[in-house]
Amino acid sequence: MTDPILIADAIDVRFGDFQALSGFSLSVRSGTIHALIGPNGAGKTTLVGLLSGTIRPDAGQISLHGRDITRDALAFRVKQGLVRTFQVSSLFAKLTVLENIFLAVSENAGASHDLWRPAGRRRNLIERAEGILERLHLIDTRHRRVSEIPYGEQRLLEIAIALALEPKVLLLDEPAAGIPTDEVGVLLDAVASLPPDIAILMIEHDMHVVRRFATEVYVLVHGQVLTVGPPAEVMASPEVRAVYLGSSGQSRFAGEAHGA
Amino acid sequence: MRATERLPNLATAIVLAALVVLPFIVPATLASQIAIFATGALSVAILLGAVGLLSFGQGLYLGIGAYVCGILVRDAGMGLLSALLMATLSGAVLAGLLGSVIVRRHGVYFVMLTLAFAQMGYFAVLAFKGVTGGENGLSGLPRQFDILGLSIADPLSMYGFMAGAFFVVFLLVQRIIASPFGTVLAAIRENEPRSEALGYPVARYKTVAVALAGAIAGFAGGLHVIFLGFVPPSDVELEMSQRLLVIALIGGIGSPAGALVGSAFYMIVSEALSEIWPRWLALIALLLIGLVLFLPGGLWSAGRRISALFERKTAHD
Repeated sequence: MTDPILIADAIDVRFGDFQALSGFSLSVRSGTIHALIGPNGAGKTTLVGLLSGTIRPDAGQISLHGRDITRDALAFRVKQGLVRTFQVSSLFAKLTVLENIFLAVSENAGASHDLWRPAGRRRNLIERAEGILERLHLIDTRHRRVSEIPYGEQRLLEIAIALALEPKVLLLDEPAAGIPTDEVGVLLDAVASLPPDIAILMIEHDMHVVRRFATEVYVLVHGQVLTVGPPAEVMASPEVRAVYLGSSGQSRFAGEAHGA
Repeated sequence: MRATERLPNLATAIVLAALVVLPFIVPATLASQIAIFATGALSVAILLGAVGLLSFGQGLYLGIGAYVCGILVRDAGMGLLSALLMATLSGAVLAGLLGSVIVRRHGVYFVMLTLAFAQMGYFAVLAFKGVTGGENGLSGLPRQFDILGLSIADPLSMYGFMAGAFFVVFLLVQRIIASPFGTVLAAIRENEPRSEALGYPVARYKTVAVALAGAIAGFAGGLHVIFLGFVPPSDVELEMSQRLLVIALIGGIGSPAGALVGSAFYMIVSEALSEIWPRWLALIALLLIGLVLFLPGGLWSAGRRISALFERKTAHD
């Protein structure tokens, strides 16, 4: 087992009187897909903000490659290889699909300081962008504006952008959220084809997705880690099931547990 | 990169043709002013059009460019081109400094800060009478300029210089917008938090854009001084900031060509109307309201719409 690449240690995050995360710890390893589940209000959104750098903890430390990044800004973390996707597609709606991906490729290549040469003539960057679009089956839509393509494809583009940034650690914030069922397959294929050497932390509600991909599952409840373990074990735990009191959660879990 | 890549070339051709034709339609002195204020409006266009930053204070940078150019030409005996270069630099430096402070503020706060700094600049000009000439402006500049051995004596050669200057800045702005840097500016305009999440230091990109816009305004200020032969304090007044903004909006900020359309329209209309009715600005205001309501892309976009209609029609035939 490899050493952890991203570590959060004894994190506290408070918003006024509300304790969003308390004593939260987590470690993410290269070549592993970790999943994080938890009921609404458990602190999942706070966690994504914390790791990606938009929320500062009140206590605790975050380190990446053994280096303290607790106080480092979002943009700096991205340059260090910590990349996130967005739960609600957050793209450049009026730009084309290719321009969206070009922005990520160009940032990654450090080519964006160029004020002179036309972006469209940077062949090497364009080719890299098109290569990534090809992998995610988005190549045919490359000249369309993002606002004009179906939501499922926008979700794929989210992942494509993240890949273009060449992450070492990838935070997938509910990658399958809001996708029509008939388009989910393409997205799951995309997740399955992510580079095997990167570390992935997936925030996901859908237990099918978690079961299929994750090797380690964190259960977050009231800002604390309730339990950690392999998916089957976690889902069989009575403690975890008790947390998911919502009937939909129950049935989702029940089906999965029986399946296991 | 875009499917519309041909369009800038078409815009360039139209702008070039318009610049050639202009002195035959209107008096050369009016044509010169059109080119000067079109250059100034480009500084608004690059901010508002490319990054989505609304500046109510571009007059400040036009003003500093004007004073720097005037003082250097009169007191330091500097040549035309080096004085223009210094005017450009002074606009860039001032805008870069102030920009680094204000780009972290968003929306209405950003606008108010640009306004506040512009007002401060105006009162500073009035306060330092010894340097700026206060309300009287800065006079006593040579009436005739040489550039690379050619003398700019008559209105037409003056126009030639101003039109050339505008065209160079126009090409530069077009180039910047099409560059990877320009694509990042568009990204910031569309979705700032997402740009940050891609790893872009957004504040730094905005500061560079503000400095570039300041440079263009400073250059336009220098041009204005060369045209007038003195520095009017109105160059640094709020009315100047307003005028540049109105010109940019009338012309349309979607393309740098809009700056020329807007400036030509504004200057010609004001010239024609001011003879009939001293309150002509009221009509400009009405027009602006109409444009915002019915043609938000400005006059330049009207041409594009018509050509799109035409293309659709021919495609059907």
